[in-house]
Amino acid sequence: MPAARELSIRGTPIHMLQEGRGPALLFLHGAGGAGRWLPFQERLAKTFSVYFPSHPGHGGSPAAEWIEHISDLAFHYLDVLDALGVERAHLVGASFGGWIAAEVATMASHRLASLVLIDPVGIRVDGWIYPFLFGMDIPEIVTTVFHNPMAALALAPPDQSIETLALQYRQGAALARVAWNPHLYDPLLRRRLGRIAAPTLLCWGAHDKVAPLAPCGETWAREIPGARLRVFADSGHVPHLEEPDAAADAVSEFCRLRGGAG
Amino acid sequence: MKFYYFHLMPYIMDHDAPSSWVTLSNRHYDPGLGHTLYNQYLDQFEHAERLGWDGLCVNEHHQNCYGTMPSPNVMAAMLVRRTTRAKIAILGNGLPLRDNPLRVAEEIAMLDVVSGGRVISGFVRGISAEYFSTAINPTHSRARFYEAAELILRAWTEEGPFPFDGRFYRYPYVNPWPRPLQKPHPPVWCPSQGSTETVEWAAKRRFPYLMVFTPIKRIAQIYGEYREACERYGYQASRYQLTVNVPVVVAESDAKARELAQKHVMWVFNVGLRMHPPFWRPPGYMTEASLRRLLANPPTLPSELTFEEAERDGYLIYGSPATVRDKLRIFADELQAGILCTAMNGGSHERTLELMQLFAEEVMPHFREDAHVDETAGVGR
Repeated sequence: MPAARELSIRGTPIHMLQEGRGPALLFLHGAGGAGRWLPFQERLAKTFSVYFPSHPGHGGSPAAEWIEHISDLAFHYLDVLDALGVERAHLVGASFGGWIAAEVATMASHRLASLVLIDPVGIRVDGWIYPFLFGMDIPEIVTTVFHNPMAALALAPPDQSIETLALQYRQGAALARVAWNPHLYDPLLRRRLGRIAAPTLLCWGAHDKVAPLAPCGETWAREIPGARLRVFADSGHVPHLEEPDAAADAVSEFCRLRGGAG
Repeated sequence: MKFYYFHLMPYIMDHDAPSSWVTLSNRHYDPGLGHTLYNQYLDQFEHAERLGWDGLCVNEHHQNCYGTMPSPNVMAAMLVRRTTRAKIAILGNGLPLRDNPLRVAEEIAMLDVVSGGRVISGFVRGISAEYFSTAINPTHSRARFYEAAELILRAWTEEGPFPFDGRFYRYPYVNPWPRPLQKPHPPVWCPSQGSTETVEWAAKRRFPYLMVFTPIKRIAQIYGEYREACERYGYQASRYQLTVNVPVVVAESDAKARELAQKHVMWVFNVGLRMHPPFWRPPGYMTEASLRRLLANPPTLPSELTFEEAERDGYLIYGSPATVRDKLRIFADELQAGILCTAMNGGSHERTLELMQLFAEEVMPHFREDAHVDETAGVGR
């Protein structure tokens, strides 16, 4: 079981899970993934010191009114690294978390031993418009996000209590603050991806319907210098949930060869 | 009591789609039929003034069959030149939905000047679904509303030019021509669904509060909160600050009225307000406190409202003139509402005109002890 920590990052309180020994690995979750310590993280914690914070307004982290733009979250995570005393980390982000991770990498690649983006959103891709997730009910979201809908059970809410519904609303609002319009991207980010100097692995579900491999994954692979692209044949948008062992092994293998985190 | 004729200008149709809002394909809209409907609806408004209604209400909704007035100011513009006496109440302009809210200040001022000062300016946030139709970020809704309202009120009351530097709206020169005719500005109304924050905001500024399609119990509760807030701000709410919007069907007999209400008014709730669930709750549109209040006591979805519930809870009023008079006493005497906005729909244009006439002749005169009062004097500004 990971340890739960409450931190204050330049005055912003956050909740974080932490487990494992080894090089530092910071995991940035996607929408709905806050606080979900699942086999993917468990497996990574065998090799790395895994830090798994909840974004402000998600999971156990209270909403932060000062967050107005995705870059606010990126700066927040540079602050998190500072607060943890981690000079260089492996940075792994999934979906929305991948977007934040990419923003961080464009700002401060020197803080990253490596960068892993799992089906990230965040850039404008020619020929693709991200489906409007805010307009979907839960069944529609599950079919859109997952290739194997059974994997969605891991993210299912524990109940339909007012507390749970209020949390979901708070998470939706925290996401909407930075991702409603433009929906799921920062118009400035794509041009900046060329700045990323950290070794980068792109993990992509072959059946992603939020940000499909073609054209989204292919665009990212073109824009980030030297990025490797690894495709997961049985996954949709969330290979770390749909093929957790394979995804964790791919991450471990890539990051182990690129040391210097701590 | 003052009577305002209210219209949604619906595009009445049946369909099996999950939502009458945002995603109901506009291939269903027949502009030829639309031509007939718009003109009938405008005729009804003009007829209402001739019959003695005190005001005519238009409103803003987007991408739906429930109400086809995406621009209420366009409809108001048609009415100001075809009427001479009635107030023209725009209920209202969706302020946060505008990227240039100064345009609202300009258009309302134009209407006010042309109409000789008959305009009432509703300020609304726009209902939840509008944030999907306009792509405006719902987490900004409240802040944009307050900021746009401040900008518009200053634009109407302060000599220009002056700079405005807000979080969402920035202008080096605020200096709209024309200025409004009414002083200090046209009355502002707040049509709302009863959020604590809006009640406070309206009460503080003496802006009349309008409850739309709300059960009587809830109206009583919100009116109570509004009156209390007014007292906290050091004054007693005038009854013309308490406005209610309820559909009325009056016919020759209770049975006839019931039949019409069941058939035509229930369409508004059951079909017109049928909405894909996510469209009811865009993230951040409500404060978390408002959400928790809502979840603790969830209202019936309009699409699931039965006629019996609608009747019992006072979502609508129907009956013979005598019955309707009795039912309206609850609004006039118990709730002390000063203004009643009513939509009427008899199922056809001709039948609607008949209902309007019956109401004007057999109901209205019984509530006219305030005939000499100007309901906009001293309120809304």
